Amino acid sequence: MSLDTLKSGLIHWSAAGYFRVSRAVGQWFPSLLIVMAILGFWEGYVRAFDVQRWLLPAPSVIATTMGDRAGMLSEHALVTLEEVLIGFSLALFGGVVLASTIALSRTFERAIYPFVIASPTIPWLLVAPLLLIWFGPGLATKIIVVALIAFFPIVVTMVDGLRSIDPDLVSLLRTMGASRWQLFTKVQLPSSLPFLFSGIKVAVAVSVIGAVVGEWVGSSEGLGYLMVRSKAQFLTERVFASIVILAAMGFGLFLLVGLIERWSIPWWHGQRRARSSRQEL
Amino acid sequence: MDSDPKIRIEGVTKRFLQNGRTLSVLEDVDLYAADGEFVSIIGPSGCGKSTLFNIVAGLDEPTAGAVYLNGRLADNRLGTIGYMQQKDLLLPWRNVIDNAIMGLELQGVSRPEARARAVELMEPFGLDGFEQEYPFTLSGGMRQRASFLRTVLADTEVFLLDEPFGALDALNRAQIHTWLLGLWESLGKTIVLVTHDVDEAIFLADRVYVMTERPGRISRIENVGLPRPRTLEMLTQPAFVSMKATLLQALREESRPGLDPAVGRAQVD
Repeated sequence: MSLDTLKSGLIHWSAAGYFRVSRAVGQWFPSLLIVMAILGFWEGYVRAFDVQRWLLPAPSVIATTMGDRAGMLSEHALVTLEEVLIGFSLALFGGVVLASTIALSRTFERAIYPFVIASPTIPWLLVAPLLLIWFGPGLATKIIVVALIAFFPIVVTMVDGLRSIDPDLVSLLRTMGASRWQLFTKVQLPSSLPFLFSGIKVAVAVSVIGAVVGEWVGSSEGLGYLMVRSKAQFLTERVFASIVILAAMGFGLFLLVGLIERWSIPWWHGQRRARSSRQEL
Repeated sequence: MDSDPKIRIEGVTKRFLQNGRTLSVLEDVDLYAADGEFVSIIGPSGCGKSTLFNIVAGLDEPTAGAVYLNGRLADNRLGTIGYMQQKDLLLPWRNVIDNAIMGLELQGVSRPEARARAVELMEPFGLDGFEQEYPFTLSGGMRQRASFLRTVLADTEVFLLDEPFGALDALNRAQIHTWLLGLWESLGKTIVLVTHDVDEAIFLADRVYVMTERPGRISRIENVGLPRPRTLEMLTQPAFVSMKATLLQALREESRPGLDPAVGRAQVD
């Protein structure tokens, strides 16, 4: 690559980056405004009425705590993140395998799918103590809780995706001599990906909740544990600090999934952009 | 035997059971196409043309009758007959070239090898420069050509074309007709085309079959005597015009009274 193409490439890249940033600011501005307003009101209220710190700490106090206790907080956050990532990965792997089996076999579908559909009605918060008894207070219990919660959205969206194919497309590929397995890998699997990503976005959010629930019932580390302990000690600002970090974790994972989605199914977004890019004159 | 037609449909009948009553869709349909022949079928909508093609392609089995390929009873026809529908049915997650090689891929040809074969045909199909584009960026005509390229690359001996140009406007159609005939002559394939358009049926084919309304039967067979290669000027020549009149008359007799197929076509399309 010559220096000139490199240079123009860089200029192009930075220009595109600038536009992306300015567009992103425009996109986030309204919600940013709302957050600022709420924080401002909160801060003013706590100061004006001199609310006790253990009852409701001001945002500035929470922020200070997060700065002062960054080391401890990040230690606990990493534990929770580890549980989330391992549990979610298990759910993703198991969910994709199970959804595929359900889509491939009628018998299996009849035998298994009702249980999958019924699974979110189980109150995991109440089952978690049982898991604690069976698997102990270690990492395993949390991973299982995360996986059990994240599993459902992944399986259901993927099964829907695998079923959503155009029957004419199936007929066409059959006339080309496609086997059942080829239909699955070349048509069903790719066309289910947009559905699967919707499920994954829900799954990462509930994974964070799952990890905290797992930590609540029995643990010696993690943000869920920190919340329980801090609440007992009336260190309410630490409870809030944990909530802020958990929210950021969920949000960050959501954005990451969005990026992976854009990268792995560009045709899907291209199609949608092509449809929405037309403007009325 | 040397005189065996490439494809022969003999006595094909198809009946369904619907709400306890027998619904007859096809009744004793006979039809053939010799090696390298171009044959068209015209008929009113609902005459069972698509059912007929589904049977010929092997997606469906006839209640009675049989399909012969090269004079032999073709029991397992899936994968041996190319079938192209009105919808282009391109896979949205595959670019043009990877859509085109679908048939080869299913036959077990490696992707690089299949792509190499497809690249050579991009230019004659008017798709060069669009190899890497996704289908949603293409025009209707280009999508249809990409779909046809996929059919051609699968390299079966017989192509069934079910109103492939129905969605195109008249100007695009005239162009694609000439192009298709050029391609057909160079490929030497056997083509059976289903259409609502009498002009299209005559202009492209060696022989035109007229089907009746349900239950679909062949009511008339006309050999098109026009020389090859066909030119657009032939559309106004007496031989063409008189054949068109004959076929329109045959269609009119087969349709419900009061519905002129020449007028009705616009609604059907």
